[in-house]
Amino acid sequence: MNDPGSQKAEIELQPETEVEVSSEPVRGRRRRRGSIGAESSVNMDELRELIQLINENDFSEFELEREGFRVRFRRGVDISEASSGGFGPARELAAASAASAGDQAVAAVPSHPGAKAQTEASEDQDLYIIPSPIVGTFYRAASPNAEAFVKIGSRVEPDTVVCIIEAMKLMNEIQAETTGEVAKIYVENGQPVEYGQPLYGIKK
Amino acid sequence: MIPELRKFKKILIANRGEIACRIIWTCKEMGIRTVAVHSDVDRDSLHVRFADEAACIGPAPSAQSYLNIPAIISTAEIFNVDAIHPGYGFLAESSTFAEICAACNIKFIGPPANIIRLMGDKVEARRAMAEAGLPVLPGSPEPITSEAEGLSLAREIGFPVIVKASAGGGGRGMRIVHSENELGKALETASTEAAAAFKDGSVYIERYVQDPRHIEIQVLADEYGDCIHLGERECSIQRRHQKLLEEAPSPVLSPELRNQMGDAAVAACKQLGYASAGTVEFLLDQDNKFYFMEMNTRIQVEHAVTEMVTLADIVRNQIRIAEGERLGYTQDDLLIVGHAIECRINAENPETFAPSPGLITAFNLPGGPGVRVDTYVYAGYRVPPFYDSMIAKVITHARTRDLAIARMKRALEAMVIEGIKTTIPLHLKIMDDPKFKAGDISTSFMEHFLAQNGTKIPKTQSGAGALTG
Repeated sequence: MNDPGSQKAEIELQPETEVEVSSEPVRGRRRRRGSIGAESSVNMDELRELIQLINENDFSEFELEREGFRVRFRRGVDISEASSGGFGPARELAAASAASAGDQAVAAVPSHPGAKAQTEASEDQDLYIIPSPIVGTFYRAASPNAEAFVKIGSRVEPDTVVCIIEAMKLMNEIQAETTGEVAKIYVENGQPVEYGQPLYGIKK
Repeated sequence: MIPELRKFKKILIANRGEIACRIIWTCKEMGIRTVAVHSDVDRDSLHVRFADEAACIGPAPSAQSYLNIPAIISTAEIFNVDAIHPGYGFLAESSTFAEICAACNIKFIGPPANIIRLMGDKVEARRAMAEAGLPVLPGSPEPITSEAEGLSLAREIGFPVIVKASAGGGGRGMRIVHSENELGKALETASTEAAAAFKDGSVYIERYVQDPRHIEIQVLADEYGDCIHLGERECSIQRRHQKLLEEAPSPVLSPELRNQMGDAAVAACKQLGYASAGTVEFLLDQDNKFYFMEMNTRIQVEHAVTEMVTLADIVRNQIRIAEGERLGYTQDDLLIVGHAIECRINAENPETFAPSPGLITAFNLPGGPGVRVDTYVYAGYRVPPFYDSMIAKVITHARTRDLAIARMKRALEAMVIEGIKTTIPLHLKIMDDPKFKAGDISTSFMEHFLAQNGTKIPKTQSGAGALTG
């Protein structure tokens, strides 16, 4: 049906484009489809214009939240896939799977340690994202009493250690691998992180 | 001994696909929370969706995700799980993984690591099972070290012989040798293939049985030395040593032969100190003599047919046994009701067997009386090209074999999978095959079947399967 290569050309509400409008807080994968008119005060024409604008600017993800409604537009590759240089056959399936598995799937959404960070990082299109290279526990400092490796505003070089990820009692020092300034920190000290989960947003 | 109970609150499932879902279903029924691990291309897989918690542990290649022991153990520690269920494939038969779990105080749901290691080495397993009283085919007690040694042994056994990889499985590193002048090359190619597949090039020789049946006995053993069997599965319908279709009970086993094979398997497991669910595979020759082939120390793909005819939940029993419970059944409790058949639905071209990954555009599950489908896919799911091609198992259960076949036919006809090619049409043809319907099958069934049904076997696929029979 859909050749992954032809994706860029399709900009209307095609199956691989996901539009989500919801009055619920941003979290996890809870999503509803086809309920645009039913629950929000947003005008359909405005929405179309918005989508066109987003497409023209080649965004892969866009989210707008106002009181009482939220719209999220998504296309293209997940952050984790992009960062791993990845091949991404699963990219556009979040919407389709939610639609087919229906309400049952909504009830069964698992708690994913990276879900919140993933959502937050997806808003920051202008930032370079440092993803977690392994699954483990995130530490901002070398020891409980030590100073954090980096803070908002810290300058980083490719070899700057930005955090430690503990996996199987081993402390793995994670380097920035880019040059810039720390603009966002997506995870809390001591929090579990998964492979590909955004840790820092770096302004180049 | 007083049972040492350790009730599990949370289990990590170190697997993907239908078996990960299958394990989650039982955990839900037992009130045990589940943690799914997945690669980054498996985010939309159903096992991730239906687990209580999930973590991405690495990129698509299995070596960096589903076989990544540090990542799995790290996840198990973060989520504070009591036990890990390895499913089948991946780390299910890794004694190293079982040992690491134990060292980390996480219960590995399976047999003790030393038995996994013993059964993983086919030469050692054969010797141990022969010592435990199971009949084995005449063959080399040690890996073959030279062609001359192989030749004198093959002469002693008598041709045809089969060359097998010590670390083998899935038909890789196997060659059937009909005459003396073929032996040297067979030893060499089997060894090369084994080295590539298992990082162990050692091979051994065994008598080759013409047109045997593959019959396996499901066993359940607890940690206190109790062991029973749940009857047999007939798995003779194979292509290149890969099972395509399984049934229980076998159409040819008499109650006496069933007891004889079952009792032999149970006695051997007791002697080994086996615990958990396991499968003892036998070759049954045309004179109804059976020989130990290998033991699988894990849940098997085809466990569902046994579950249908015995009403046992094998995954539940694995978990109970790992929790330290006693078996609680005796052999007399075994009741085999009716007949069950399982068809493995693979994302493959049914004629060329070329893999067919991609987007499933339409999907309908068959239902109605006596139909069970174990799957992890759905409409809109993209079957990734990185893993096993099996996407679903259709199991039918009915009072008789004929009724189970009729039921399978109508179930497969109602099963719609569009967008990718599947083996459903192949199974439909098998259901109509007179020899299959008569129960007249052996491991060479598929070769004859494919020849008759005009299916082209690509020339490149000249493995052991093409030489069988």
